[in-house]
Amino acid sequence: MKNFQIIKALSSSSAVSNISKEKEAMFIAGGTNLVDLMKKNVVAPDKLVDITGLDLAKIEFLTGKVSIGALAKNSQVAEDASIKEKYPLLALALAAGASQQIRHMATVGGNMLQKTRCSYFYNTDMPCNKRTPKSGCGAIGGSNRMAAIFGASDSCIAVHPSDMCVALAALDAAVLVEGPKGKRQIKFTDFHRLPGNTPEKDNTLESKELITSIEIPDNNFTKNVHYLKVRDRTSYAFALVSVAVALDLKNNVINDVRLAMGGVAHKPWRLTEAEEFLKGKTVSEEIFRKAADLSMKGAKAYGGNDFKLTLGPNAITEALTIAASK
Amino acid sequence: MSKTSNINRVDGFAKVTGSATYSAEYKTPGVVYACLVGSTIAKGRIKTIDTKKAEWAPGVLAVITHLNVDKPAGYQKAKDKHNFGQPLQIFKDDSILYYDQPIALVIADTFERMQYAASLIKADYFKEEHSTELQKAADKEKKVETDKGNDYHRGVHDGYKNAEVIFEADYTIPTEVHNPMELANIIAKWDGNKPILYTKSQGVEGTRRSVAGVFDVPAEDVEVHSEYLGGAFGMGLHTWPYEIAALIGAKKLNRPVKLVLHREQMFTNVGFRPYTIQKMGLGATKAGKLTGLTHEAVAMTSSYEDFMEGTVNMSRFIYDCENVSTRYRIVPLDTCTPIWMRGPGEATGSFALECAMDEMAYKLNLDPIEFRKLNYAEKDLEQNRPWSSKYLLECYEGGMERIGWKNRKNEPGSVKEGDWLVGYGMGTGTFGCYRSPTSVKAKFLPDGNLVLQCSVNDMGPGTATMMTAIGAEITGLSAENVIIEMGKSGLPKGPTQGGSATTSSVGSAVHDACNLLVSKVLGLATENPVLKGTPITDLAFANGVISSTKDTAKTVALTSLLSSNKLDGLEVENQSKGTDEARKYSIYSFSVHFVKVLVNPNLGKIRLAHVVSCADIGTVINQKTSAGQMYGGAVGGIGMGLMEALEIDHRFGRPINNNFADYHVPVNADIEKQEVFFVNKKDPISNPMGTKGLGETALVGMAPAIANAVFNATGKRVRDLPITLDKIIETVKV
Amino acid sequence: MASKKTNPDKVTENDSNSRRDFIKKSGLLTALALAPPSLVMASENKWDEKIAEYLETVPLSIEVNGKKHNLNIEPRTTLLDLLREQLQLTGTKKGCDHGQCGACTVHVNGTRILSCLTLATMQQNAQVTTIEGLVKGKKLHPMQEAFIKHDGFQCGYCTPGQIMSGIACIKEGHANSREEIREYMSGNICRCGAYHNIVDAITEVKEGGKEL
Repeated sequence: MKNFQIIKALSSSSAVSNISKEKEAMFIAGGTNLVDLMKKNVVAPDKLVDITGLDLAKIEFLTGKVSIGALAKNSQVAEDASIKEKYPLLALALAAGASQQIRHMATVGGNMLQKTRCSYFYNTDMPCNKRTPKSGCGAIGGSNRMAAIFGASDSCIAVHPSDMCVALAALDAAVLVEGPKGKRQIKFTDFHRLPGNTPEKDNTLESKELITSIEIPDNNFTKNVHYLKVRDRTSYAFALVSVAVALDLKNNVINDVRLAMGGVAHKPWRLTEAEEFLKGKTVSEEIFRKAADLSMKGAKAYGGNDFKLTLGPNAITEALTIAASK
Repeated sequence: MSKTSNINRVDGFAKVTGSATYSAEYKTPGVVYACLVGSTIAKGRIKTIDTKKAEWAPGVLAVITHLNVDKPAGYQKAKDKHNFGQPLQIFKDDSILYYDQPIALVIADTFERMQYAASLIKADYFKEEHSTELQKAADKEKKVETDKGNDYHRGVHDGYKNAEVIFEADYTIPTEVHNPMELANIIAKWDGNKPILYTKSQGVEGTRRSVAGVFDVPAEDVEVHSEYLGGAFGMGLHTWPYEIAALIGAKKLNRPVKLVLHREQMFTNVGFRPYTIQKMGLGATKAGKLTGLTHEAVAMTSSYEDFMEGTVNMSRFIYDCENVSTRYRIVPLDTCTPIWMRGPGEATGSFALECAMDEMAYKLNLDPIEFRKLNYAEKDLEQNRPWSSKYLLECYEGGMERIGWKNRKNEPGSVKEGDWLVGYGMGTGTFGCYRSPTSVKAKFLPDGNLVLQCSVNDMGPGTATMMTAIGAEITGLSAENVIIEMGKSGLPKGPTQGGSATTSSVGSAVHDACNLLVSKVLGLATENPVLKGTPITDLAFANGVISSTKDTAKTVALTSLLSSNKLDGLEVENQSKGTDEARKYSIYSFSVHFVKVLVNPNLGKIRLAHVVSCADIGTVINQKTSAGQMYGGAVGGIGMGLMEALEIDHRFGRPINNNFADYHVPVNADIEKQEVFFVNKKDPISNPMGTKGLGETALVGMAPAIANAVFNATGKRVRDLPITLDKIIETVKV
Repeated sequence: MASKKTNPDKVTENDSNSRRDFIKKSGLLTALALAPPSLVMASENKWDEKIAEYLETVPLSIEVNGKKHNLNIEPRTTLLDLLREQLQLTGTKKGCDHGQCGACTVHVNGTRILSCLTLATMQQNAQVTTIEGLVKGKKLHPMQEAFIKHDGFQCGYCTPGQIMSGIACIKEGHANSREEIREYMSGNICRCGAYHNIVDAITEVKEGGKEL
């Protein structure tokens, strides 16, 4: 790892102004992904701005929404009694990620910014357009068991690895950011982006912007929710496919529904068409299966991940069934 | 049960307090930090290597490549100067024989500076076409030169083809990697011309010989310390290029050099279980009597070293069968050389054999255990010798009862628990009992404590605890009074730890040395005023006191016996080895793994609801450590069965999942319930204690047990490991 | 610690350039720009390395197992390497160095974390507890005793991490069933496969109800 300067920011505005001075400067908080990437020489910042001293770790229950500070730890959110009660889908998704040690370190903001787990991205002697633009995509025609089935491009078939983000996409969260041009709000589903021919850009944050918090509007998804994570071992592994389901049931009729998938795209993959299809229908395995099949429209696999075309709809059906039976 | 049969691990205190010192942890004044930079191609030659930036980076003390290395003296003497047929000679020349082959050694004053400097080294290559895919290199298939028995026939060649019922299938296992938790690591230094190594070795004496060969010094001049090993599972059976590199660096700088491999390098530079394709042919009568069995294996090796293992051996003797043919071939590929990984060839072979037995049982509509009992071998037909002991049937019975085999239905997919499909499966394992000549020194100290010395290592099974138990048992001392010194050179020569032979070899040597020492004590006691005149046969020794069995009032403490004779101790050094009598028998351990799986066929999820591992290993010296070893072997087999596979991108000839996030090994949540059962009956032939060995057979048979259970649950037969979820969901429709 | 060069006789014009190159790339540029002119002069006079050493370290005050340390470290030093290589506390293990195995688990301010992914410089004034800090005199911690009794290890290499994690698992309230223990201990890989016995040990400590 290259040596670097590190300074501790005392306010979010000073953090932003500090980072603006340097081209190769980055924010650091939990470090669980960044330190790993620096060890692998995937990124090599000249300067780190340590933001852990900022007052951005609070979970606040406001009128009509909850605000979760970007520095709140993954475990802190997952185990917060009110989050478990009011936004159980988020708690379930967080608890499914990584290990407890990592959840104690990783922050909400950092979780959103974590890089893909695609092996070609991590191995610097391999081609990867995301890491080294125009070097090619190693995963196309190579090892692509983890790869995307939705929204990929000829440049990149990597997936976003987060579990938390799948739940946040489903729950219509918003991302609050602060940058050199001031503060703004981004719809969660617009935060991460598809690779197109600029896969080096994971999200729509502008240069030097800092995530300060996320907000989730209140909802009725407190009971019939499920986060199904399918992976190669029982715990401590990234998702091959995951499904976040939230159902608002009235007498077995679907009043409202949210559905999103992880492990299938460059961003958390919201299944809006299936949601629309399910709304107003009575719960049954048949309509769940139909919704699942509908969700697979446009899916494309790359050899090593062909199984996701079967696993995906199966997982959606399973997750809906489990959520409905809670 | 003897008083030592359940003692705690004697090195437990050191291990739970962090005070156990593993190789790279020796406090060494002046130590500097080294790492290896690997090639980024799989085959070719180095065109240029730019080390300048690294050399000028802060804190860098040396950068060594093939261009500036002082070649070890032994390189010249090696039998083939092109270094084929022998371990890779690091930095010998510009040739690249596998991906991540070390091309440079970087040494700096701190760990961080060394790591950074290493990242600055850049090389260009003349690339040549590499070959890393076994399936596509079949034309290079060859016999192992040194393997006398690689083609074996009993009765009619491929006699299975003439049977009433014939079953044929191919089975594949991928490359798997040992991956002990402790990284391969060494602190190397020199005392003049004498190399000193603190290293991760399973065999102190073997490492001494290898290092002596490379540097052309007498083996007796090589000092090796390997007192604690953080696991090895076979990867410590070879002296690897990284160890030689550290010694080269230490010699150049005349300073101690610490080199710890990265986890990534553990996948590319220190061996692995080789990718193996197996062909099985079974023939039987309709009633279920095996009449023919053919087992063929093709496995990978490196381009520069032949490697082989006993993949097909088990098929020659485990079942009663008249016509047996086995064939073993290797294919050189552009990779590092494989090395035996726990349950070595037998684990690979049993996957094919025990799955094929299950498939044949289905074909015959027989219960898989019934089918095996119909073909139970009353003697070893390969060697035409009787078994020394065999309690395989007891293993079957013990496992069937514990797993609830009676709940199994032969029809796949016919048992359900809730939404889960339930399947039961089993697989048989075996491993030979070996015993190699071993020297042990047993010494009573003036304070009455017993010291046992041997250069053998302990990579985890509990060798010191075993030695303590046997020593305490024979001398009548309690375990707290036994002191073990092991894992370094200069002690009486012990064997390499491997092949489940440690207890048989070292335990026997402890047994013999302690008996001789007790005789010496009793001999001395007959001269003592109190006991004078008592025949030696009437003397007993227990708890540090010699007494007359005829007159219990007559006692002498060992401590006073030593002091009255002005002795600062009493010792015996003795070499112990196997007997001619033992060669008249076939001595094998046997194991049977049972698993109950719950399968969600829509998600391909396989839950290990219950795992029962049974074994006939002769006498169980220590129930606690033996059970631990059996649990652990089973977990290793679970990794093999369900998740472990080194994935190669053959376009580049490099592994693509060479890290612990992408190469999955089992975690705690993967096994829901686990049990162990030992028959625990003494083998009358094997050695004085009657043990037969455990470490290897603890893993053998687990992978097929899982595959067979998955078939029983789903009707889906997976013949290529690991059984990942994609192999379940693709065809199962429920 | 002065740094030596290999082959100093090979110094050429190019080498000097590459050295200055290094200084730029290593992020020292800013530091040098802010440094007093005398230091910049020193750099021109090839004293850069010693200055680099000085400039590249930051002060760290940290408490490990109750003992205060005031250190100067490079910002890139991880807590794991600080413990093992500088403080000689080798009980905390390096198994993967990438947050993929749990062997380096320690407690920071009472919470279990992975020391390999923690920059030491970000732990100013933190209280760190490692495996070496559990023993009081010769008295083992109940979790250490339970690991011995239930043989929760073989080779012992993942053991310090397992024990630190096991204690935290109970303190966090995640040891209420064998199933929950298995899940919350899954961040600690044991290649010897001692999981069954590890769960036994943690279960016993949890049921013993002692203050941990």
